[in-house]
Amino acid sequence: MAEKIIAYRFDQVDQTLSQLNKEDCTIIAGGTDVMVLYKSRRGVPPKITKPIVFIDHLNELKQVYKKGKDLHIGACCTYSDLLNDPLIPTPLKNAIKTIAAPAIRNRGTLGGNICNASPAGDTLPLLYVYNAKLVLRSVSGVRIVAISDFIQGVRRVDRKSNEILAEIILPSELEEGAYAVFEKVGNRNADAIAKVGFAGYIRTNGEVIKDIRFAFGAVGPTMVRSVDIEKKLIGKTIPLAGADIAQVLSAFDKIIKPIDDQRSTARYRKTVALNLLRYFLSRKQYQHN
Amino acid sequence: MNLKDISTSVPKKDHKGKVSGQLAYISDLKVENMVFGVLYRSPIAYGKIKSIQVPDLPLGYEVVGAEDIPGPNYVKIIKEDQPIFANEWVNYIGEPILMLVGKDLDILYGLLEKVKIEWEEYQAIFTLEEAIKQKAAPGVTMANYEFGESLEIISAIEQGAHQIIEEEYDTGYQEHVYLEPQGMLAIYKDDEIVVQGSMQCLYYIKNALITALDCGDDDVRVVQSPTGGGFGGKEEFPSMMACHVAVAAKAVKKSVMLVFDRSEDMVVTTKRHPAKLKYRTALDKEGNILSMCVEVYLDGGANVGLSSVVLQRALLNSAGVYKIPHFHAKGYVLKTHTVPNGAFRGFGAPQSFAGIESHIGHLSKRANIDPLEYKRKYLVKQGDPTITKGNFRDPILMEEMIEDLLNTTDYKKKKVEFQTFNHHNQRYKKGIGTSLFLHGCGFTGSGERDHIKATVKLFKSKDDLVSLKISNSDMGQGIYTTLSKIVAKELDLPYEKVSYPYPDTKEVPDSGPTVASRTTMIVGKLLERAAKKLKAQWQNGVEQEVTENYVHREMIPWNELTFTGDAYPAYSWGVNFVEVEVDTLTGNVKLENVYANYEVGKVIDDRVMKGQIDGGLAQGLAYGYLEKMTSKEGRIQQKSITDYGPPTSMDVVSIQSKVFDNPYADGPYGAKGAGELTLIGGAPAVQAAIEDALQTPFQQIPITPEVIIESLWLREGEEG
Ligand SMILES: Cc1cc2nc3c(=O)[nH]c(=O)nc-3n(C[C@H](O)[C@H](O)[C@H](O)COP(=O)(O)OP(=O)(O)OC[C@H]3O[C@@H](n4cnc5c(N)ncnc54)[C@H](O)[C@@H]3O)c2cc1C
Repeated sequence: MAEKIIAYRFDQVDQTLSQLNKEDCTIIAGGTDVMVLYKSRRGVPPKITKPIVFIDHLNELKQVYKKGKDLHIGACCTYSDLLNDPLIPTPLKNAIKTIAAPAIRNRGTLGGNICNASPAGDTLPLLYVYNAKLVLRSVSGVRIVAISDFIQGVRRVDRKSNEILAEIILPSELEEGAYAVFEKVGNRNADAIAKVGFAGYIRTNGEVIKDIRFAFGAVGPTMVRSVDIEKKLIGKTIPLAGADIAQVLSAFDKIIKPIDDQRSTARYRKTVALNLLRYFLSRKQYQHN
Repeated sequence: MNLKDISTSVPKKDHKGKVSGQLAYISDLKVENMVFGVLYRSPIAYGKIKSIQVPDLPLGYEVVGAEDIPGPNYVKIIKEDQPIFANEWVNYIGEPILMLVGKDLDILYGLLEKVKIEWEEYQAIFTLEEAIKQKAAPGVTMANYEFGESLEIISAIEQGAHQIIEEEYDTGYQEHVYLEPQGMLAIYKDDEIVVQGSMQCLYYIKNALITALDCGDDDVRVVQSPTGGGFGGKEEFPSMMACHVAVAAKAVKKSVMLVFDRSEDMVVTTKRHPAKLKYRTALDKEGNILSMCVEVYLDGGANVGLSSVVLQRALLNSAGVYKIPHFHAKGYVLKTHTVPNGAFRGFGAPQSFAGIESHIGHLSKRANIDPLEYKRKYLVKQGDPTITKGNFRDPILMEEMIEDLLNTTDYKKKKVEFQTFNHHNQRYKKGIGTSLFLHGCGFTGSGERDHIKATVKLFKSKDDLVSLKISNSDMGQGIYTTLSKIVAKELDLPYEKVSYPYPDTKEVPDSGPTVASRTTMIVGKLLERAAKKLKAQWQNGVEQEVTENYVHREMIPWNELTFTGDAYPAYSWGVNFVEVEVDTLTGNVKLENVYANYEVGKVIDDRVMKGQIDGGLAQGLAYGYLEKMTSKEGRIQQKSITDYGPPTSMDVVSIQSKVFDNPYADGPYGAKGAGELTLIGGAPAVQAAIEDALQTPFQQIPITPEVIIESLWLREGEEG
């Protein structure tokens, strides 16, 4: 009765890549998005039309290591792996703890969260403010893209069908004097889809802002970030003047365009996004982390 | 195991099967010659069916509809207003029109897409608000009651009053979210149809089947299968599914299985009635209450179902636990073209308690008195009349329970601490709130005597094992355990020697439905008496059976027309204190401490009672601030548990509870009802705590973050 499904599970990344080069496949890492996406009604198996390639077991894609100033995270590291890894920065760990519940965290991967490109992906706001770069591998070699270029829309990414996401690089993570924070706003404390996500990043020298970045999740098709707005604050001193804060808020007010849905209202999402931004900007000091 | 004190916990009878995951629920079953059924449901809210076109069906696939029903086309509940298969008018999105049956669900889903119906569509009523405006139009008011002080007297009092306060209060849907979605199987046999499934009320189903199949008592049989939660959601709804599968089985001469997945279940099954409550209260200069008028409006959805009875309970609880001078109440069940609303743990009382506790809390502000102190001034005492001229004849321990929690929580000190905290913290605000509540145990009025007429049997085998023969369902609440304990203790038998098989109407008499917090108190008492009788006649090694019938407690007779008399034989009581921290940037509410004192007569099993407390209170708290279901143009918007948002273990804190002894003469070992009571105080206490934290009144539940942010935003606007 059940239709035939073709699935591959190779021992090596190379074999995987050469198969992907031959045919268009559905990649499954943890499968926690794929299985939901292709879910059928009760009693009927999911309908995945393309052949499946499993990559969750590939060790090469599960490494976490430092290279110079950069932190490299294997795309197939599960959330549980990352929570147990001493190299992973605390703000990212805190973000991961807000995702799903332990069972899903044992399966779900960082690479899956990125490639799934949901507006409510909870690692994405932080990855944006970390200026994360993505290592894409195919039979023709390696390509590195910024996360903000890779994610193009709801479930739309700049991945060629023969590529896999191999690693995520956090370049600025270890810079001195940096502080980052993520706040998830969901309807409950576990197994919730974000209504608003906010990540803030700041690097100061004494009281002077050297670098500052913000990203908002679940308030548009992709993460909302504006380098232009951020630039206006560089060189200013902490605590920021009320007028500066107001200017940034009104600039974001114009570009945050959330929607009403079954989980919340546009008005709530916008108000809360701006509240969290105001709170971040109004701090008198930022503890480095 | 021998039982010294009845309250001492024992392992639950169903513990092993459930914990090991071995227990088979209805959707795990496969029987010979079984096909699946899927329902074609109305995509429109209100209209007339002009024609139905079913696609060509492959061999082995058949369609079942209204023509196949041997009896009249309605699900027997109270009124004859709920079709089994709508064939003329449809009244809500999701109303079943026909069923396709066959072996392969995938093929069935494909065929469903190809069913074509032509409609004449009419303007639907989508909201309670619209229904209230049209309540005089034909068919909109489905039930109404009015009682209490005469309006002339109230109007005279109001004229002399210092102030008249009017408030409107709204409560939302609540979804049961039983772990196991609804499921029903009809097993086809030549001489009988056996309907098996997840259910609370075997004989409701049996009676509905006898009507629908137009058959004799012996032609249908109803068997409960392991039931993964009910909360009222499996009170009347399963009767409709039972009719679907039984009619189909008869028509196609095969066994038919109908199981919902979560999203179908969330969209089409009954919910807690959304309500609007209006208060009009006259006050004197000091803020004392002179009179109060309450109006309750329930959104019945597309048919009346049990809504009239739900409204009765809502009205009977409309004054809360207070003795209010010159009280008047009226209420309406109104029709909307939305999914029918029905039974849900609390049965109308949670809406009323949320409303009255909110209103009294707001009145206390005007009187400049701490809410709890103000509430205590009006607390009913033993011997006081009820709002229906009945009597609170048993001792009431509310004062003791309140005092106990004032001490445990260090209430006064905490209030001051929270004020200081709130003054210094810009982002987070803490608050503490309380609720006082009761629950009338068992059916309203003389329902037990006139309608239910419960009978129980005990059977003793030759090897001296005793089994309970009753029609009540264990749906997780623990009656396999508690009722077995009562019988074991009464007979001086080890608990292991008493069994309680899954009820089957062929084997068990009608001991009534498993609803209304009646099972332990009413059925338990009958079993206690049956056990006494059996003990008196006990003969070793001989098969014996004893029967007991319901005996009514002498009370002030209940009159449903005038709404006077003793509405309930007994009341259980509760006090909740809740502490929250509100994030003013996001509106998120964090529970910090939850305290609960209850009085349920006598606890039959400590751990089972704790299960009721923790689960019931979590469900009640969530009703107040977390769980949110909405309908847009007749369509339920939240189709998944994630979107609806019932609390997880990360949301609920460990609940600090105590249960006070106050044995009740007509309950087994003194026990009264406990199942619904535990839910009722959650929402009002959480509202009061949020109000205390933000120093802002609210006029609705759930108080979601969206509601909180909106109110803070408005307040900011006012303050400039
Ligand atoms: C109950 C539940 C709760 C959830 N809660 C949250 C939550 O709170 N927050 C949140 O953000 N998400 C949540 N999710 C979504 C999901 O768990 C995450 O997005 C997770 O990170 C996905 O990872 P995965 O490995 O399971 O992805 P998969 O399902 O395996 O893949 C997701 C997508 O990415 C592609 N893909 C995966 N890895 C690669 C790769 N290395 N290279 C190329 N393409 C790839 C797949 O083809 C697919 O399109 C939840 C899911 C469930 C079922």
